[in-house]
Formats: sequence, structure tokens, C-alpha cells
Amino acid sequence: MKKIDPISTEIIRNAFISIAQDMNAVLIRSAYTPVIYEGKDCVVALLDEKGEVLGQSSGLPLFLGNLQVCVQETARIYGWDYFKEGDIFFVNDSFFTGTHLNDITIFAPIFWNKQLAGFSASRAHWLDVGAKDPGGSMDSSNIYQEGFRWPVTRLYENNEPKKEIIEFLRMNGRFGYSLIGDMNAQIAAGKTGEKRFKGILDRFGLDLVRSARNEIFKQSEELEKIAVKKIKNGSYDSEGFLDDDGLGSDPVKIKMKVTVEDEKITIDLDGSAKQTQGPVNCGFAQTISACRVAFKLLINPKRPVDGGTFKTLEVTAPQGSIFKAEEPAACQWYFSSLGLLIDAFVKALSPAIKDLSAAAHYGDSMVIFIGGVDPRNNFPFLSVEPTCGGWGGFPDSDGADALINNVNGGFKDLPIEVFENKYPVSIFNYGFRKDSGGTGKFRGGCGLYREYTINADGFVSLWFERSVTPAWGLFGGKDGIGPNVNIKSHDEKEKNLLKANGLQVKKGTVLTTYTGGGGGFEKPFERNPENVLNDVINKYVSIEKARDHYGVVIDEDLKINKEGTFKLRNT
Amino acid sequence: MYRVSADIGGTFTDIVVENTSEKKINTIKVLSTPDNPANAVFHGLNDNLKLKDIDFIVHGTTVGLNAFLERKGSRVLLVMTSGISDTFTIARGDRKELYNVQYTKPKTLVPRRDVVEVKERIQWDGKILKKLDEEDLNNIANKINNEKIKAIAICFLHSYINPEHEIRAKEILKKNIENDVVISLSHEIAREWREYERASTAVMNSYIGPITNKYLKSLGNQLSEGKYNKPLYIMQSNGGVIRAETAIGQPVKTLLSGPVGGTIGGEALSKKIKKPNLICVDMGGTSFDMSLIINGKPSVTNETEQQHIPLLIPLVDIHTIGAGGGSVAWLESGALKVGPRSAGAEPGPACYGKGGNEPTVTDANIFLGRLGSNSKLGGWMNLNINASDKVIKNLSDKLKISKTELAEGILSIINAKMADAIRTITVKEGIDPREFSLVAFGGAGSMHAVWLAEELEIKEVIVPNDPGTFSAWGMLQTDIRRDLTVNFFQPFQGLSEEKIIETYNKLEAEAVDLLIKENVNNSDMSFMLTADMRYIGQEYYVNVPIKLPINLEEINKNFHFTYEQQYGHSTPEGPCEFINLRLIAVGKILKSESMKSIDKKNIKEKSSRKIIFNKKNYETDILDRQIIETNEKFIGPIVIEEETATTVIPPNYSLIKDDYGNLIINKN
Repeated sequence: MKKIDPISTEIIRNAFISIAQDMNAVLIRSAYTPVIYEGKDCVVALLDEKGEVLGQSSGLPLFLGNLQVCVQETARIYGWDYFKEGDIFFVNDSFFTGTHLNDITIFAPIFWNKQLAGFSASRAHWLDVGAKDPGGSMDSSNIYQEGFRWPVTRLYENNEPKKEIIEFLRMNGRFGYSLIGDMNAQIAAGKTGEKRFKGILDRFGLDLVRSARNEIFKQSEELEKIAVKKIKNGSYDSEGFLDDDGLGSDPVKIKMKVTVEDEKITIDLDGSAKQTQGPVNCGFAQTISACRVAFKLLINPKRPVDGGTFKTLEVTAPQGSIFKAEEPAACQWYFSSLGLLIDAFVKALSPAIKDLSAAAHYGDSMVIFIGGVDPRNNFPFLSVEPTCGGWGGFPDSDGADALINNVNGGFKDLPIEVFENKYPVSIFNYGFRKDSGGTGKFRGGCGLYREYTINADGFVSLWFERSVTPAWGLFGGKDGIGPNVNIKSHDEKEKNLLKANGLQVKKGTVLTTYTGGGGGFEKPFERNPENVLNDVINKYVSIEKARDHYGVVIDEDLKINKEGTFKLRNT
Repeated sequence: MYRVSADIGGTFTDIVVENTSEKKINTIKVLSTPDNPANAVFHGLNDNLKLKDIDFIVHGTTVGLNAFLERKGSRVLLVMTSGISDTFTIARGDRKELYNVQYTKPKTLVPRRDVVEVKERIQWDGKILKKLDEEDLNNIANKINNEKIKAIAICFLHSYINPEHEIRAKEILKKNIENDVVISLSHEIAREWREYERASTAVMNSYIGPITNKYLKSLGNQLSEGKYNKPLYIMQSNGGVIRAETAIGQPVKTLLSGPVGGTIGGEALSKKIKKPNLICVDMGGTSFDMSLIINGKPSVTNETEQQHIPLLIPLVDIHTIGAGGGSVAWLESGALKVGPRSAGAEPGPACYGKGGNEPTVTDANIFLGRLGSNSKLGGWMNLNINASDKVIKNLSDKLKISKTELAEGILSIINAKMADAIRTITVKEGIDPREFSLVAFGGAGSMHAVWLAEELEIKEVIVPNDPGTFSAWGMLQTDIRRDLTVNFFQPFQGLSEEKIIETYNKLEAEAVDLLIKENVNNSDMSFMLTADMRYIGQEYYVNVPIKLPINLEEINKNFHFTYEQQYGHSTPEGPCEFINLRLIAVGKILKSESMKSIDKKNIKEKSSRKIIFNKKNYETDILDRQIIETNEKFIGPIVIEEETATTVIPPNYSLIKDDYGNLIINKN
């Protein structure tokens, strides 16, 4: 192999990243559905001839480091000779890709001078893939209810589309037109990657590009080893619970043992719950991906991902568990388990790398559906909203108040003005939930309340999580307050609940969602009284909580009572 | 008589003077006066011209922007509807970084304690649900007086459709507080829905209001004492100008006017040389700004985010990356990186001799001979070639490559980065860079332009006159511009043409009033209507131009066409809807044509020096730009020097000076 100079290496490295960005720009630009071009529920990558990542651009954290698995798994089954010039493949089977059926992976081999030089790949969330309920269900109990399910299949052969297959796809999605649009957007992104990669190959030649790649992977791996070596060797445990599996089961346990040995980190998920009947399962590929997100949060988060990244990480999970589910497990809400896994990893390693860690965040997307018929125009409407909550405190800073959860991508809450125009729903109250952040030297962020007055007969579905293990504190910091949803109507008894599928509601129903706060970091009594006072003035913390939990006495004129504080904190 | 523009930079204030009677153009460079930037403008003018001979002054103010960047604006009290005022602090809850467990949200300009509530409520259709509570406002007035607050922003829910409560609230406050308190009403600053973004824009307006007003008044006074009695015009982010008196009420609209001059200059150049498609690049010490002229027009967007703070203001679309003469070359785990970190002005590149000990892009240019050691950077700074040599040697030793390889490598890396950035913008816009010409300006633009063109397969590079002051020149090419918006949330189906016409007429009447206030004659006024439209169910929208007379069929066609252009596909049978109608109102300003540069004195003799191109030494001619004749042609390698910039033409490229004095560079 040719010896490569550092200049060409850097130009090629930047080009790989830029190719991925261009692919992403093309996908976002040409996708048909807002889930992709607004929610950024997608990822693109340029891979080398063995499926390793050269460049990647991700809109959704959970898609980190997962596309290569699809290519490599295909090669494991069929061999590398399987890929021919002019092929384009797709796959969505949860037990292959790991994720839910809505996520469609499309990839194509790139040939240069008759040689397999690499792959373009992308994954995007398709709005509807023919599940029993539009868009996807909250209460599926097996994968057959969740939509069509494809093994690796050729979409194109010899540069010709396989019309029968495309027609099948179109006919089996509720929004066939946009489904084909999104498929074409992914293909266009792949073509962009192919064209630009070939440009680089024309300029530098395959040998030189491969030498550069080896060099880049080596650099990434070395940087990672340096970071991992700084973590004290040992075995670190943690666990947490999902409230239930979505079908009213007992809490679902996740358990992990993280072993650090010199330059290697192993995550063992043994002891986690067996796969559930409800849809909180996932295939192993997506579990690996979530572990990589967790790892990336702590290890060189700013360095772009490539084939040298994650070489130091190994993941194992028991067959038939929620993390390595088997047919026909339901997988629609797979990310609830994975969000918890990510929090648990940070917790497990926190004793070893306190300065990089943080207490847990409020935990899940906290999704609320409101639907019905809009009396203003008699059109059906459906609002689907995740809700923000508090994040955990960490060294030198409080956790963020009202921030979207860790597995979400380009989310923004819908402005009240837009919401009230689009849906027959009024929002009269929306704000921070005082005292919801776990107390600590650095407190957890506050969760939110959002009050919907529904001006139509309709239905509500809810997916709220993490009341069994609300956001935990670390190093003496306290847990955050968990979530709640309250429903009030004129003629029925007030209800508090967290999950619901298609609950009928009458016009005038008031629904208030409360999301949890983040966990606190270190002991609340160590918190600087000035910061406690600030929180009281800014109304994140009540005077009572300041006194009872922080040991800070604040007088009515909003001044710190030094004597009282001293007494409280020293007895 | 003169028309003048002033572009205030960190170090220098550039002034461009057009002598309209003699049809000559001249530039003045003075040191900036950061404490009161007006001083540099005033003295630059007063020391060189008679103020009473000036017809027209335009300038871009950076006072507001600096106050914002340094967080030195005024304390703002934000008044919002009761029950929902936390929307401002929640800031829509999004994360700007995906992999950061220790993420903190960008700090808001107003802490939560200074967001106060008033009981009132307007419904989505403008109907009043709850009357304005005047007692709440009296209490707020007391707070303002007691705490000596000088800036207020008011944002009530749905005020974009019914501003009654905001207007009344201002009246009540005005009666009870000091006269000099700035009050920004959200519907006046940004008449669009989305309460957080609108509040954020109004807050910014108030945050920089007091300091910008003070500055504009001070400059106005200085000028009128000097017997300048014509209007003073201020550059806006939208590429047009307004009178200083108008700017005082809405400083947020001038916030990002700094780099806009260059793009407007590009637009004027495009018209002059009859090339509709240009990629404009401005490379300075720390940043690289890119903008596009497509079909003769710059692209203008209607909102932006600055340091994660959203602003609903129209602005010329300019993309920036951290790449410039000061970009530092450094090592990470054995890999060579260039930028985005910059050596800045202090210590600056090693060749500044101010203690910089890492090689920068400028050092590489000096080492290779592309920048002459006797050329004075920005016209004033002597360069120390030995210092550059030393830092390049240090780094090349570590990498075990030659100094030349490193120096050329640094430039290759930064050029490839800039080219990649340009490519990504063109991909997003769905255009092919090969169909564009590259216009290069700024201190370092013309030194790198040919390599950018090479990477992007662009056939032609244009280096305009005085590339170092091109942005200031651009400001002289502007017109007065006001942007008006009205919410028009309507499905396309079932809409009548009358309804659009009625709204348009209202907007136009409003716009005529505004232009009259800018002293524009009716015959110089022109209007352009656009609509924000989307497919029903979408969140994003496209901005569609609407021709008069209104024709629904054509609007529909235009929408699908615009959508196709932006996203690469459209759904001609898909139902669509309107969100906003926007009116661009332009008041034409008379401009002067065919300006010739005034011959400077000290023309440099033709000389030559050794320059390295592709590892080879070339004895290269160095020419002063002033001695090149129109249509004179040169074959590279050759270097053209002028006071504010150096243009480098490598072997295999040639150069010709066009009828307007532009340097046109082509591949042989």
C-alpha cells in the first residue's frame, strides 16, 4: 500500500465528512415527510469496502454507528461477492437492523474501476409502513402488527428499479405517495455519496485513499484508547426500570455491568428483562448502537465517527432479552429501553469519571397524541408531541431545564400560536414545574407542565415513562420528581395516568402533562446559598424547598438569612 | 458632489467616496475607534472632504452587534401573556448538540425573573378572550420606575393577528414611565406567529436599542454640526437601507448588516458585467463568508439564529465558516489540522512578530512567496518572513516533511475546506457550482480564489476593484428597503382572489406611508409581494413570489415550481396553504455609473520574486494593479498587488482586466 502524507490524509478526512454532509443535505432537501426533513429522523454514511464508516452525518443520536452493521451482516450471510455494480438494497426487519420497522435502511455498493470501493448508506423513518394503526401502534404485542417486514432485498439491479417490489411498498403504506418520495430521497442521497466518493478516488486513487483511511482509523482508535485508559480499571454496575412494557406489565428491569480493562470497555447486559409482550424490545444491532451513543457521550464526543471509533467497546446481551429480542417480539417503542440504557451507562461509570458524568435526565420522549375532528372545519386532526423535561446536574453546572430527551434529534416544541391554529385545542398554561429538579450542589433541571383544553370530542394516547425510577441523583444529589398526567372533564372523575391507547375524551376536557426533573449532583447542603437564592428569585425552587432540602433560609424580602442558614446546615 | 459609504471593521474603517461630478471613486482608510465608532466615520470624512459637499452617506453600524456579542446590552424587562410566559425561557426545548450529557442551554438575554406577566388573552382568530388587565400594567410601570429599567419588550399571544393589547399596553406604560425608555412591541418588530421567536426578536431590539440609539444620535449630531444636512442612511441586514431616524426604532433590523455590503456589491457587479450567477466569497483574517447571486439576485431569508437566539428579520443569506489568514495549523494525534481556531489579531500569525508561535495560513502564504514580505498587510503592517519560516520549520520537523510540503499542505487543506463548504451550500440550494463565476474579495480572498475555483471546477474568477473595500462599495449600490409581513393562514382551496388583493392593498398602503417617511417620491417606489406557502401538514414553508395582477392559478403553479427548486420535487396535486404574505417595498436611490478609480500616487515598479507553486520555484512578475491596462492579458504565474489585497495567479491560469477594471482569471 502506498505511503501517505499527512496533508492528503487531512484533505481526504475532511472530504469524507463533507461527503456525508452533502448526502444528508440531499436527503433532507428531497424527503417528502416532515419526520425526516424537520424531525431529522435519519442518518447517512459513506462506508468503505468492508462496510466501515468513512464519514457519517446523523440527525438522530440512536442511529449512530449502526449502518455498517447492515452491510456487514448482509456480507456475512451472502458473502462480499453478493454486491454487484448497479445494485441498491433495502432492509427494515427489526431483528436485522435492530430498530422499529418504520426505519428503512437503504444501501448500495460503490464500484470504481470494476472494484468494490465502498458503500453509500442511509436510514430514514418512513411515516407509515402498514402497521395496524396509522403511523405505528402504542400497544402492539408482536412484530406482525407493526408493519411490513423486509429482509435485505434488491430495490435496483443493474441500475434498473425492481418495479414489483416498489409497487408492493407503495400499496402497503398508508401514505404511498410520500413513501416512494422518501425512498427516492434516500436513493438520491446515496447517488450523491457515490459521485463525490468517485471524485475523490479519481483524484487520489484507490490505494492512496485506502492508506489515508487506515491512517484516519488509526488516529481515531488511538485517541479513543487514550481516553479509555484514563478510566480506572474495574467493574461498574447499574440498573433501572421502565414502568411497564406498554401493556400494563410489572416494571421492566434493565441491568448492566461495565468492565474497564486498560484500553477496553465491555458492556454486559446480563440480568436485563426477558423480552416483553409489549413493544419495548429491540434487535441487538440497535442495542449496540445505543451503547455506542452512551460511550460517545463520555469518550471524545466531538470527534466525528469513523471505522476507528468504537474499536475499544464490546457489548453483550442475553439472547431473548429485551436487548436481543427474538421473533416475533414487538419493537415499536424500542427507544424507551435504550434511553434508559444510556442513562444507566453514564451512572455506572460515574464513580470512575466523575468529571465527565451527569445525574440522570427525565428519561423518555413523553409522547402525547390528541386526535378527533376539528369543529372549525370538520377535518380530522392528530397532534403528536414529545415533551421536554429536566436533565441531570453535573460538575460545575445545574442540569438543563426543559430540554428534549437523549434519544431525540431535531425536536422543537410546537409554539402555542401554531398549535391553536392547527388544532382545536387551547394551551392556557405552559411552564416550569417548580421544585421538580432533584436537589444537589448542582441541581437537576426542572420538568414542565403543559395544559391542553380540548375543544372537541376526540381521543388521547399517552406514552409517559420513568415513574418507577425517576431521574436519579449522583454523589449525594437527590432524585428528580417523576412524571404525571392529569385528565379532568366536566362529568367524569379526575384521573391520573401515564399510558393510554385511544382514550375517548369529551369536549372541554383539560389534560395537563407533567414531565419529570433531572437528578441532582452532589449534596444539596453543599450548594452555594447564592445559587439557592437565585433559584428562589427565578422561581425554580420554593422557599420551603430551599429551607428543607438545601438548608438555606430565605427571608420574605428575598435575602439570605445567614444565621438561620448556618444553623440549619450545621446541626 | 459626493456619495460616501463607511464600513466599520475591527481594526479599520473603510470609507468609499464616489465623486459624482467627476465620476471618480476613491477610498479612505482610517483606524477604527471602538469606543465610539462614529468618531472614525466623522473624522475620516471631515478630514478629507467638505461635509456640505456630500449628498449621501450610508453606513453599517456594528454598535448593536458588538453590544450583543459582548453581552453588554441593556437590562430588558419582557412582558408576556399570563400563564405562558415561560415559553421564552423554555426556548422550544431543543438541543444544539446531540452527544453531550453535560449540555447547557444558551443563556437567554432576559433572566426568568425579568419576564413578567399581564392577564389578557387573545384567541387564535384574533378574538379577545380576556380583556387586558390595566392594573397589572400599572404595577409593571412601578417596577420599571423603581428599578430604573431602560428597555422593555412586550409580546402577547396572537398579537400578529390582533395587536390591540400590545398597543394599549404601550400607551399605559408610556403614561407612567420615563420618556427615554425603549419599548419594543413584538407585532411591530416581527408580525409573525411563533411566540418565542417573536418575543426573542423584540427582546433583541430592546437589548441593543439604547446603545444603538445613542450612537446614531451622536453621529447625526456630529454630522449636522459639520453642516451635513442630508439624511444619514443605515444598512440593514436585508440588503437595503433606511434613514437613521427609522433605524432608531428598530435597531434589530440593522444588527447583521456588516457582511451584507459584499453581497449587494456582488449583485451590482452581476448586473454590470451581465453575469447572473455568482458565488461571492469574502476571506478575511478569521472567517470565510459565502453568498450566492442566483439569476441576478441575492437570496434573502426571513429568519436567522445568532448564537442560538432566533430572530425574525429578513436578511441576506450569508454562510460563514472559521477559515481565514489567521487559521492555525496544529497537530492532533499525528494528524495535521488547519483551523477553525484563529490566531486572531493578537498575537496574530507569526509574521506579525507579536509572539505568534504557531504557523497560520498567512505564514504559509508568506513562506511560499505568494504574499510579499514587503507587501503591507491591510496596507499598514510590516511582515516578518523569518518568523514565518521558523514556525513552519518547527511543525514540518515534527511531521518529518519539508517546509515547502507543509506550507503548500496548509493551503491545500484550508482551500479544500472552503471549497467543501461552498459545495455543501450549492447542494442545499440544488445548483451546480460549475455554472457560476467566483467573485473573491476581502483581504485574503483573491490570494486563494484560483484554488477554490480549481476544486469546484469553476471556470472563471473575478477580482473586483479594491477587493479589500468591496463591502463598503457595495453599500453604495443599495436602495431603501422595508419589509412588511402579515399573517395569512388560509388554505389555498376555496380562497378568493379578492381576499389576497384586499390584504395586498392594505399592505401597500402601509408601505407607501413608510416610504414617504423615508422621503421617497411615488415614482421611485416599487413593491414586490411574496407568500410563505407549504403543503398542508408541513411545518417548513417556501417563499413564493407573486406577480400582479393576482392570479390564483399562477400562484399555485409558482408554489409547486418554487418547492421543486428548493427540494428537488413537488406534488402538483397536493393541497397547499398560505402562512404569511410579505411585501418588499423599495425606494430607488439614484446611483452613479461608470466610476473610475482615482489614480493613487506611489505606484510600485514592476518587480519579481521567487514563488513556489506545486513544489517548484518560479521567478514571478509582481505588478501593481494600477498599471494594468484594460483588456491587457497576462499568463501566470503572476502576482497583482494593490493596497488592500494580493491576487495570485498560478501557472496554467491567465488574467485579463475587463472594461470595468475587474481582474478576470481563467484556466488556460
